[in-house]
Amino acid sequence: MTADLTQLFELYYESLVRMLYRRTGDRDRAEDLAQETFARAVAAPPNNPRPWLFAVALNLVREDGRRALRQGRRLELLRSDDRPPQGPEADLERNERSAAVRSALATLGERDREALLLKAEGFNYEEIAATLGLSKGAVGTTLARARRRLVEAYRSEARGKHVAS
Amino acid sequence: MSHLDEGTLHALLDGELELSEVKEIQIHLGICAACDSRLQDVKQFLAEADRLVGALEAPAGSSRTRPEPEPRPADTIPPRNPPPWESAPELLLPDPLEKTDRRIASRVFKWAAVILVVFGAERLIQGALQPDKPRLELSSRDLTRPAPPPAVVSQQETGRPESAVTRQVRPAQAARAPLAKAAPERKAAGDQPAPAAAAALDELDTAGAAAKDSEVAVPDTQTLATGRADSGAEQNTESQDLATRMAAAAALEELDRERLRSRANAATASLPPPRAELPPAAEPAPAPRTLEQRAQVYLRIGLDEAVTQLGRPVHVIEALSPEFIGLTPGRLVPGADPNRPVVRVVYLERGRMIMLDQQRLRTGQAPGAAAGSLRWTQGDVMLYLHGEPSADVLRNLQRRVR
Repeated sequence: MTADLTQLFELYYESLVRMLYRRTGDRDRAEDLAQETFARAVAAPPNNPRPWLFAVALNLVREDGRRALRQGRRLELLRSDDRPPQGPEADLERNERSAAVRSALATLGERDREALLLKAEGFNYEEIAATLGLSKGAVGTTLARARRRLVEAYRSEARGKHVAS
Repeated sequence: MSHLDEGTLHALLDGELELSEVKEIQIHLGICAACDSRLQDVKQFLAEADRLVGALEAPAGSSRTRPEPEPRPADTIPPRNPPPWESAPELLLPDPLEKTDRRIASRVFKWAAVILVVFGAERLIQGALQPDKPRLELSSRDLTRPAPPPAVVSQQETGRPESAVTRQVRPAQAARAPLAKAAPERKAAGDQPAPAAAAALDELDTAGAAAKDSEVAVPDTQTLATGRADSGAEQNTESQDLATRMAAAAALEELDRERLRSRANAATASLPPPRAELPPAAEPAPAPRTLEQRAQVYLRIGLDEAVTQLGRPVHVIEALSPEFIGLTPGRLVPGADPNRPVVRVVYLERGRMIMLDQQRLRTGQAPGAAAGSLRWTQGDVMLYLHGEPSADVLRNLQRRVR
């Protein structure tokens, strides 16, 4: 790996894994996909690395998802974290909340979800537009829809749980 | 402006709008309650969505990969720009308390100045009226200043009896006389008006301060002058008082000038010495030469004219487009007949000039071409390829000359 790619790795690897983890819910897959993304960057060094890396990573997620569907594999949404335990109640609460958010996130359209995750990684509208192939003017609308749907889906899930319990 | 759409509100909250757009939206939000209410909703959605996505925390580390490094600034999510309306607007009005204080201070200074002038004038007048007291030394410039033309002419000039007005003016001139007499003496002592003036200023300050401390009601200038005239009525006339006042005013004026001069000297003393004069500006760069000048072509010609000159078809470099064809003096081209012009085909390849010279040989003319040289003959035409590229490049091009 050249010096430039090493620098890219140091700059963006953690952010990429975090976004992929939020997208897939599977830390090992997130790391695999991030490694694969950087392997592609070695083969064809990008000019505008940040949007390029995230765009490739999101493409890989989509391909991986389709492959998993074909193979009958289901996404593992409720995978527990490897963080040190903070007590059973705290872990349970965190896992429940995390599962609810993932469930809400899964109701979003793919583009909305990706825009939301990129925004969470600090992308500005121009970078989101470049990564997702949108016009810059459409990013605000996309994010507005994504945020509203996420919150509404999460709230309805929480209401459903309350009713069930 | 129509109602704001949700995307615009999100862009606004994300700090993605231009300042001009933000101003327009702020104006609209100020008058449109519906949009303002929607903005509050959008704020809530945005905050909650960020919180939910943030709840999907990334794993702290991986068993398969290297230990997680310290988070870098580039990896952290940059804080969202706070919307402009969340910060309190700056109040541009001046502090009313400060303004009042300033007004009071200004009034106090005005009164202090009046007190200083009045008491200073009184001291000066006293000095002028009492010859036994030391008098304020004045600048020679003021004392030697030409006296204003007399308001009256002398009795000898008119031949008329002396009037009352003349009698009043004379003593004023008489009062000025001793001052004028004292001037040469002071000039001989080194012409130093500043210390004397400073001493006078000190006197004025002391008198002013004493008056201020005792908070005595200060009479106005007119009253003071009248009182002075009454008290000295036995010996002095009013015209003497007037002359003394003029002298005092001139002294004060000189004092002010001296103080300004000394301040200016003090201020300029710390400055670096003035720079030496800058060298004259460099000669302006010569205007870029034209392509014809660079190619030493004195006449541009067309292809037909070139064919006529050569009596043969013009040779060109294959796959290169000439910039122009021209004529250059034969004496400038080695091996050419110096008495006839040479046809020069000029090319420009990546900014570098390439020239293909051609001249029809006459009987007995030997161009001196050698094998491998860039000067050669083709039929009865001498060709010479030269220019700015290296010889290797030119040799490659030589093979493409047709």
